[in-house]
Amino acid sequence: MTAALAWGLAIGMALTNIVLRATPIALLSRLRFPPLVERWLGYVPVSVMAAIVASQILTPGGRWLGLTRNPYLLAALPTALVYRFTRSFLGATAVGMLSFLAFRYLLG
Amino acid sequence: MPDTSPTLPGASTPRSRFLRGTRLGLPIFLGYVPVGMAFGLAATAAGFTVAQATVCSAVVLAGAGQFIGLAALKAGASLASALVAVGVVNLRYLLFSATISPHLSKTNRTQQMLLAFTLTDETFAVNMSDLREGRADTFSMLGVGAVSWTGWTVGTLVGALAGSAIGDPSRWGVDFAMPAMFTALLVGQVTGRREGVAAALAAALALLLAGVLPGNWPVVAATVIGATVMTAATR
Repeated sequence: MTAALAWGLAIGMALTNIVLRATPIALLSRLRFPPLVERWLGYVPVSVMAAIVASQILTPGGRWLGLTRNPYLLAALPTALVYRFTRSFLGATAVGMLSFLAFRYLLG
Repeated sequence: MPDTSPTLPGASTPRSRFLRGTRLGLPIFLGYVPVGMAFGLAATAAGFTVAQATVCSAVVLAGAGQFIGLAALKAGASLASALVAVGVVNLRYLLFSATISPHLSKTNRTQQMLLAFTLTDETFAVNMSDLREGRADTFSMLGVGAVSWTGWTVGTLVGALAGSAIGDPSRWGVDFAMPAMFTALLVGQVTGRREGVAAALAAALALLLAGVLPGNWPVVAATVIGATVMTAATR
């Protein structure tokens, strides 16, 4: 890989991403959305998180792991419970990682 | 002189809110370090120097996008077509940016640009959840962004420097850091029946669409379709 190509990729990706990330904020943050759009945007966070969780837990790395011998799915249960009762992201993440290690070990 | 001011959230300083954000973003840091290391490894293996790999992560801050750009170049694609691939993979940032924009109406332009630069799936999820609970502000979001950026950049540097000598970080359970964080965030988002239905719908759509769409597209399509169905169904 030539130096020009490597730097070109870094700078090109930086510009591509900042345009995608900043344009809506720059154009829309001072506007007031119609109520319908606001309602739609209100459903985006819960939808995107559910879609990500389903993908990451049931098909990690793009492969369907099933419902029974799946350490990701099993570890998600204590993670959800810890967050439900402690409201701590860090605590839930730590418990999740430890349970994941335990389930992965137990399932071989 | 001892600080006698009340410790109400409203009385906190920008610095304390920024630090609160960095604590909130620690799970992202945990998840980004190993993935950043993997990028550092992949980039040096593809012929990047340590400096090129690290600067790339520091100025781009985009997990999947960076891997795709790198893979395209490695496969012999032109720089322009590699960048188009990166742009397509990261089109979802338009959606996240539009969704968070109404919450940044009082944020100045410089801070808006910093928040835009650190907008990723993970920082978006953490900040939207924190906003929902009425606690997030510009400084806490900047803290979330700063700690995430640090994890990604430092991870890349370590991966690029140490190469294959570090071994596989997955033995520490880091594979589950991001899924765990998103699981917790999802629990925080599901506050009622409507949100529960929206979550179930988007999850089912994402799994179904994974059979027909590549990469991140099932998540994006499930979100757009799910949110549209919910908006139409709940008047």
